Amino acid sequence: MAAPPEPGEPEERKLLGFLDVENTPCARHSILYGSLGSVVAGFGHFLFTSRIRRSCDVGVGGFILVTLGCWFHCRYNYAKQRIQERIAREEIKKKILYEGTHLDPERKHNGSSSN
Amino acid sequence: MAHAAQVGLQDATSPIMEELITFHDHTLMIIFLICFLVLYALFLTLTTKLTNTNISDAQEMETVWTILPAIILVLIALPSLRILYMADEVNDPSLTIKSIGHQWYWTYEYTDYGGLIFNSYMLPPLFLEPGDLRLLDVDNRVVLPIEAPIRMMITSQDVLHSWAVPTLGLKTDAIPGRLNQTTFTATRPGVYYGQCSEICGANHSFMPIVLELIPLKIFEMGPVFTL
Repeated sequence: MAAPPEPGEPEERKLLGFLDVENTPCARHSILYGSLGSVVAGFGHFLFTSRIRRSCDVGVGGFILVTLGCWFHCRYNYAKQRIQERIAREEIKKKILYEGTHLDPERKHNGSSSN
Repeated sequence: MAHAAQVGLQDATSPIMEELITFHDHTLMIIFLICFLVLYALFLTLTTKLTNTNISDAQEMETVWTILPAIILVLIALPSLRILYMADEVNDPSLTIKSIGHQWYWTYEYTDYGGLIFNSYMLPPLFLEPGDLRLLDVDNRVVLPIEAPIRMMITSQDVLHSWAVPTLGLKTDAIPGRLNQTTFTATRPGVYYGQCSEICGANHSFMPIVLELIPLKIFEMGPVFTL
């Protein structure tokens, strides 16, 4: 995330110069969907009402709500995935460490299922 | 270590730092959206033609802009408190190292298995080898194992210092007459740098901290005890 760009690699681009959307999980996805939601909401409101000012307000509100919604949804799934990865890593380590011994997780599992 | 003109956090080397980075991303997104909203409100204020000075009684808006910030604060506070208490957990450390701040160097004591004590001074520019990092490299690094909980006891012999290693998410004040404790578990090997983080005199910027994290098997062979 914080490694400097290697020579030959394209320079990392940041949104507004400081928001690292490329390397922050879910950021790029949320901002893109938020922008799309903003355009759809704002333009759709304008088509129905022909009110420019109010449509801009709806567009901004849509951007905030869609970005936040996508962000929390994506981060929740990302957190679940990280937990599953950590559990899998721990189980693999345990398996390697205890394979063939009485503490082998697979032996315990097979023993309990045959009982 | 940080690279030139780095603004963001360094890559995480401990689970706590991973959580801190996650929390930072979460809070930054909320802050970005609030700033965007405020910028839009400012733009509207500057471009409006509405000049009605008799506006009063905006009860609904006042309710919204009271409840909504409270909800946002709760959304920020809950993960923050979770990490705060997580960082305070002490997970049965395998090793205890004492770190004592002086003007202007650190002393490290490995007293669990023998009485190893050494000082860690910054390498002066004239003594740097090619590839060494100016203002960061030291003569004696703190060698520690990875994937083992380690307890650091931090204090100072003279003035206030602070023992900080950003990649591990650690910063603990070294206070004379007081022993502060911090624990961490490093997840990957490497050399990690930090700098004194409490103003302590003329050479405050010249007393860095360098951790050399090595696999447990190699640490057990005793390289640190052959200094």
